[in-house]
Amino acid sequence: MLTLVDDETLVKVAEVLGQEEAIQIIYTLKDADEITDDQIANKTGIRLNSVRKILYRLYDHSLVSLRRSRDQNTGWFIFHWKLQPDQLEGFIMNQKRYVLQKLDARLSYEKNHDFYHCGTPGCKRIPFEDAMELLFQCPTCDKPMMHSDNHKMVTILSQKVDQLRKELGE
Amino acid sequence: MPKRSDLEHKALQFIANTSDKGVLQSDLWRKLDASSREGSRISIKLENKGLIRRQRELFEGRWTYRLFPKRKPASINSIIDCPCLTCSESIRCGAYGAMSPNDCERLTEWLIHLTREEGEEQGDS
Repeated sequence: MLTLVDDETLVKVAEVLGQEEAIQIIYTLKDADEITDDQIANKTGIRLNSVRKILYRLYDHSLVSLRRSRDQNTGWFIFHWKLQPDQLEGFIMNQKRYVLQKLDARLSYEKNHDFYHCGTPGCKRIPFEDAMELLFQCPTCDKPMMHSDNHKMVTILSQKVDQLRKELGE
Repeated sequence: MPKRSDLEHKALQFIANTSDKGVLQSDLWRKLDASSREGSRISIKLENKGLIRRQRELFEGRWTYRLFPKRKPASINSIIDCPCLTCSESIRCGAYGAMSPNDCERLTEWLIHLTREEGEEQGDS
């Protein structure tokens, strides 16, 4: 199947799902048609339980497929793993939908609230309703709180939401 | 010699990365180390599959085709640095969850970082 995903994107997705170790595992899977977790652990030098953990994470997102066979001598199951790059596009789209949902919720919240802040780095912004109850005094550092302009945040959130909607074709 | 399907995949990836500019058919085969006959057959195949668009173009006195991707390659760049993507609390995050994107500190930090970047870019220009 022809997919429009490049190696760079594949590596980035691996990084999201399991940092450096996942990248090594993805490269090993890419070079082999089908490979067992044991072989991956030997090739990469990553501990077998970490390999399995990452493989199951990739499997949860359908980025790898799994075939099970039984060892003739021991009777144990052997798991054969295979990369499914054609599922990557779907995974990316799902993640974009998920992030869009979160950013959209935040955008409505930012648009519908006025915020107050004491100006101390590390202290939280407080919405007007809560700030009023606190008599406009910061609950962390006790300094008086002033109105905090959030139009830049609304602008950047709107841009991101529009960009994601466009990329998702919505 | 590379297999036809490999070449097809490589060609498609190459065309996809050229985005709006497109690439001349004659240039593409040189880059892929394929013959022009093989190349034009693959480009027709990709066009028939609806993956690329071919546009006739006169280049140095010869008629050739400029190849454009019909779809852009899937990219994760727009969300790669968003903390929601790697958040371990994602199961608990939502309108009725213990966490919410409304008061998430990591998300706030990311948004502040983005507004700063935007401000710097505008300052530069």
